[in-house]
Amino acid sequence: MSAVTDRTMDDGIAECWREIGVRGDRSCPELITHLHCRNCPTHAEVARKLLDRPLPPGYRDAWTQHFARRDEKAPEGEEIDSVLIFRIGEEWLGLPAGICREIAEPRPVHSLPHRRHEAVRGIVNVRGELLICISLPALLGIGATAFSRGSGRIAIFPRLVVIGEEARHVAFEVDEVHGLHGYRAHERGPVPATVGRAAGSVVETMIPWNGHTVGCLAAGRLLDLIDRSIA
Amino acid sequence: MLFLMFQLGRDRYVLETGQVEAVLPLLTTKQLPGAPAGVAGAISYRGRPVPVVDLALLALGRPAEPRLSTRIILLRYPSGPGSDDLLGLLVEQAVETIERDAADFTTSGVEAGMPPYLGPVASDERGLIQWIRGEALLSPEIRGILFRELATEP
Repeated sequence: MSAVTDRTMDDGIAECWREIGVRGDRSCPELITHLHCRNCPTHAEVARKLLDRPLPPGYRDAWTQHFARRDEKAPEGEEIDSVLIFRIGEEWLGLPAGICREIAEPRPVHSLPHRRHEAVRGIVNVRGELLICISLPALLGIGATAFSRGSGRIAIFPRLVVIGEEARHVAFEVDEVHGLHGYRAHERGPVPATVGRAAGSVVETMIPWNGHTVGCLAAGRLLDLIDRSIA
Repeated sequence: MLFLMFQLGRDRYVLETGQVEAVLPLLTTKQLPGAPAGVAGAISYRGRPVPVVDLALLALGRPAEPRLSTRIILLRYPSGPGSDDLLGLLVEQAVETIERDAADFTTSGVEAGMPPYLGPVASDERGLIQWIRGEALLSPEIRGILFRELATEP
């Protein structure tokens, strides 16, 4: 990683972004189409070149040892699942990564006239595709309480999460997305009886993450619940 | 469908991500003396021995170059009903995934005499991409040798 910020590149990489790009005098003609160097194919090509370098000393042996180590806590052949971890109000929730399609920035929600279900917020435009935007707090009966911002947290961004199977995509807004988290089957815990009625039917299991207990939603049941609210 | 892209020489190939268990960095392989051509050796993945096939050696006749972008793709290899063996594929330039429709891939037109693992092709602005059929990579004999040999190791 240090080589990315290092000014003296030994691989003969032309750092055009520092000269004519966004960190330079912005005279590059490509900037008109790409707006920022990070969107430019030249930039991507340079990134690929960085991965094309020879292995640093010790790299191979360190990784060999890392992957040879048996995972002591996990039984042999136990599956690893990954979930997308996000926050609504004060509640951290997980969603199987398999049904997540896209994380986007929030955008205006166009309300629908004569909507019958409070869980349907309206229509959003995600790269030209019109998707139904649902309200997960209303759907699951989670109170959207104010989040007490911890002192260690610098920036928190709301996000739009697009989920669905094949062609049936829907979107919902969340207050924050952590990212993907991999866990093993033995970490799953039972759902406490105190979880609300609507949420309890969709929350499948609880997993520990980062000092929190995260309720993982069942993909199939969530999509069914969404379908019923749209109908 | 999501595909994992890699290169053999200058050409680009893809594997369906549903078959992929994990993508590992380049590890030190234990040599398997007497193994068939194209087999780079075996690695220990969480204590489990996994044979590794060097696709560059198999397809181009030269071993894959040791670079950061050269990686080992762990493929789930159907070994019987409901059970999978793991097979490591040593490939170059495994740095990208692409989202394509399975219907975008059409037959390359040259089928006779081609290795059975080469599947249909799709095109994009940089040229053609060929689909590698993971399950057809090993001939039944090689497969028998590899997995039997490792199964007898303590």
